[in-house]
Amino acid sequence: MSPARNSRRDFLRKVACLACSGGASALLPQLRMIGTAMAAGPLSGYKALVCIYLAGGNDSWNLLVPYDSNGTNLRYDVYMNARNGVFSGSNTDGLALARPSPGDPQIVTDTNDGNNATNRYFLHPSLTNLASIYRSNKLAFAINVGTLVKPINMVDYNQSASNRPPQLFSHADQTNLWHQGNTSANSSLGWGGLCADDLQAQGANLTTSPQLSLCVSVAGSNRFEVGNVVNNPYQLSSSGLTNLADMCNSGSCSATRTARDSALNDLLAATYASDFAAQYAGIFGQGRALYSLLSPDLGQGTYAVSTIFPNTTLGNQLKIVAEMIKLCNPVTGKGYASRQIFFVQLGGFDLHSGEMSTNVNSTTDHAGLLTQLDQAVAAFWTEMGAQGMQNNVTAFTMTEFARTLQSNGAGSDHAWGGIQFALGGAVNGGALYTKGSGSNGKGIDGAFPNLAYGSMSNPNPNAFSRGQLIPGIAVEQYAATFAKWMDVTNGNLNTIFPNLPNFPGGTLGFLPAA
Amino acid sequence: MKPWIRALSIFLTAAVPLAQATVHDHLFKGSFDIPADAPASSNDAARFLTQATFGPTSADINYLMAQGVGEWIDEQLAKPTTLAEPTVEAVFNARTNGGQGVNQTQRLNRLYWQAVYAPDQLRQRMAYALSQIFVVSDQSSAINQDVVPMTHYWDLLAGDAFGYYGILLSDVTYNPTMGKYLNAFHNTRSFCSGGNCTSPDENYAREVMQLFSIGLILLNMDHSPVLNGGQTIPTYDQTVITHTAKVFTGFTYSDAPTNPPNFNFGGVTFAGQYNPMACWGTELFPASSNNMKHDITGDDGTTNTPKTVLGGATIPANQTCAQDVADEIAIIASHQNVAPFISRQLIQRFVSSNPSPAYIQRVASVFDTPGNDLGDVIKAILTDSEARNPPALPTPGVGACPSGGNCDSYGKLREPVLRLTAMWRAFNAQAPAPDAYGEIAMIGSGGFQGALGQNFLESPTVFNFYLPDYQLPGVFADNNLYSPEFQITNASSTYTTANLYDSFIAKAYQGMTNPPTNRPLIDLSSLTANVGNPSAMVATINANMLYGTMSPSMSARLTTMLTSLASANASAQEQAWSLIYVTMLSPEYATQR
Repeated sequence: MSPARNSRRDFLRKVACLACSGGASALLPQLRMIGTAMAAGPLSGYKALVCIYLAGGNDSWNLLVPYDSNGTNLRYDVYMNARNGVFSGSNTDGLALARPSPGDPQIVTDTNDGNNATNRYFLHPSLTNLASIYRSNKLAFAINVGTLVKPINMVDYNQSASNRPPQLFSHADQTNLWHQGNTSANSSLGWGGLCADDLQAQGANLTTSPQLSLCVSVAGSNRFEVGNVVNNPYQLSSSGLTNLADMCNSGSCSATRTARDSALNDLLAATYASDFAAQYAGIFGQGRALYSLLSPDLGQGTYAVSTIFPNTTLGNQLKIVAEMIKLCNPVTGKGYASRQIFFVQLGGFDLHSGEMSTNVNSTTDHAGLLTQLDQAVAAFWTEMGAQGMQNNVTAFTMTEFARTLQSNGAGSDHAWGGIQFALGGAVNGGALYTKGSGSNGKGIDGAFPNLAYGSMSNPNPNAFSRGQLIPGIAVEQYAATFAKWMDVTNGNLNTIFPNLPNFPGGTLGFLPAA
Repeated sequence: MKPWIRALSIFLTAAVPLAQATVHDHLFKGSFDIPADAPASSNDAARFLTQATFGPTSADINYLMAQGVGEWIDEQLAKPTTLAEPTVEAVFNARTNGGQGVNQTQRLNRLYWQAVYAPDQLRQRMAYALSQIFVVSDQSSAINQDVVPMTHYWDLLAGDAFGYYGILLSDVTYNPTMGKYLNAFHNTRSFCSGGNCTSPDENYAREVMQLFSIGLILLNMDHSPVLNGGQTIPTYDQTVITHTAKVFTGFTYSDAPTNPPNFNFGGVTFAGQYNPMACWGTELFPASSNNMKHDITGDDGTTNTPKTVLGGATIPANQTCAQDVADEIAIIASHQNVAPFISRQLIQRFVSSNPSPAYIQRVASVFDTPGNDLGDVIKAILTDSEARNPPALPTPGVGACPSGGNCDSYGKLREPVLRLTAMWRAFNAQAPAPDAYGEIAMIGSGGFQGALGQNFLESPTVFNFYLPDYQLPGVFADNNLYSPEFQITNASSTYTTANLYDSFIAKAYQGMTNPPTNRPLIDLSSLTANVGNPSAMVATINANMLYGTMSPSMSARLTTMLTSLASANASAQEQAWSLIYVTMLSPEYATQR
């Protein structure tokens, strides 16, 4: 046991006891810190990021599909062939979406592309609300985003393992890399948490005792929201705050409850030599302190939301996020934070089988999941409008990978680059962002990628044999775009996203930099 | 049993005093001597039973003291499997005939009943541990209607719990519930139509290696990574996955009709739904037939090449499905990673989140003897000196570990499910009588997965409730320590867990007015007998729930609480359940050392 280890333990015990009572960063001079030099006043206004994680690997090549077709070799035709044809009762192998008739509201135009021959796409038929938001120019698609160390094509990929991220195609590992925003090291830290470190150093946290983390998760623990200082998100249940049974909650409390409650609080505030006991006590103790802070107001009275959210996994999570935004923002709320980062999650996207079905009411096939996504996000967007917060909030998707274009007979398998979207009042939407790694023919620059996976004799230089596309845009480029908008210090971007300088294109244009 | 392997394992663990004592114990069996490996005290016995069972009972403590650890384990290894499937099938049929719906509640009631009352405690605990490695889950729509087959899957794990690892891996691979969960079921060779061809589903090929056997990087026997120029070495790449995917093709229900053939039919009986899958390879149909669903080709999609799989091993083209699967299972099971990869996770489930490399290596060496006998492995885990001798803790906040070692990171956070079952067993929970359909209610109004973050066969994904490498930010991550159970522990879960416990303590004790009928009732008499004597009540809690390890400060605080409750005119029962409840939520009970 080294002395350093002990002092670390003692330090953490103090933090646990204080339940983050405001001075954590002051106690941490020895730790790696992002943005230690910041001392400016609190960041002005209010901005929030909402990460919608689509767990399991969303088959995003069916989110948005090229519309141009001549029945043979234009982009929709290539797509349809790569996906084993349009799914139907008589072609159950097929993963392709049917091409909508002209005039269908799912058909949209890419305002970044002036060429009428190539600028039309259609959204998945489940995404009716998202199509409408796209047409109002508040939703943008980022095309062929994935984990990358540097811009590469197939030749680079095959040349050296150091040219590519580790453990491609593995759920857990690729999830970690997306959360880290850093493909070159195995870190326990995530880019949301590191951004929060920077923002906290700039004074974004307006609470003191107890301190509400700038990171809030409604979907459990996640690496995305772990920073050095902001080192764990505040985790809420999608049903909101619940009382602790037979203990004291808000309001008056009987003598017997008080006896139990004070004993429990004393046990949680005590010091423990065991790391397990000490950390458990810290988590529970912080939970009790923040319950006391939030429970009188969250979702109550003037802090209730006015929109009816769908009663689904994602709908309930986004409702809590909307309630937290209403309560915590300093413009119209109680002012607990001027920047917040939220994490919600919808699972079930690992559709090796049952991806497509003839059951229009299915909630577990791809169409059903996207319907849930569409309706939950639409309600959230409406509520942000009601709160006057649309310009202050940006929601975006992440997922660990896209899926093979080729069918396995019932669904699709793990692949790599795919499509993500961002929506918000600040988003330069109604457009596709394809400009990625950008030089020397590496990646797929400036265009929607060719979805052909080629043959053994004539392979696509940017796709594997089953249609697993090498990304054209790096996770770091995508993530840093949000970080800049949140006012993360420019000088810290390359610290948080160490591979960002490898990509000449830099951040993407769908959000204005601060 | 293979006596020579048993003997070998004893020699391999000879450094551990308890293993030698096992030999001694057998010599004197039947005498009145106290066995040499008997726990030193009833508290020691309770500690061992906390690791090895769903919680100590006074009867088990006494029995273990009389038998000694080695004999107790040997008896447990020999106990027949308590089966869940026959009961759940009977309940299923009775409910269906009575016009009642059936869902996973029926399975869960039975599995909790077994956890609390089955005599083969170590086997059931091992099934639970294995279910967190070989994950299937009713959270997947692919199997959440398969109540009876999922119950059978638990029986499969329990039945294979102390057998050969390779047999377990093979049984899991052929199991249709696993097949549906990870898509080997109805997975087929490439079929083409209109110039478009499908490829075999890769899901099972990937997860069987990543999660059930070897993991992603090459490991030494002590679970440290093998390094090449400072870099870890991947165990396989995407090409291996694509080739291996061909092996796991052609599976369907065992009773799918072959004459006339109907690959997509079958599963007409429960047995048909849970018996090992049939494989429609060349053993059943000629290679030219469309009914031959197994992929007999090699790497280049023809039969001119073999399948190049893990570690460069090859499986010849043109084999039957059974040959291909047997070859692949043998290749995986003989990989150098299996022993440390599986051993370390089992240690994490029973003893410690951060076993020393030497501990892992000792267990992995037992694993690595011919056959890979999991009974030997669990015995090595539980009898190891690191399991039996916890390093002493310093006074909180003062100084280093008195006897050295990583005393503050020793042990683990108790799993939420095990905190509940241990409370039930400590307080003689009495289950309700079977209802009209033969079902014994255990789980009340349910909701365990949401409240506790875990439940039997209810993991959110194939990656279990938590990862073996999860590091809680802060002291664990900063010191590169692991803390799996903290992945499901947060500000919200501490509340939901407490509320669920409350419903089985304050709202479910014998002698209360209008007790619930859908859950066991605990017996408070061991506490209420001493009402008016707070320190005696706390001493009972200390022995029953904390195997005598309660700190003086916690003991003092609970004593004060009882005095306050008495002053507030709380009944004897309320004093008793308050004591259990607050202890259940305490940091000391949450920790297993």
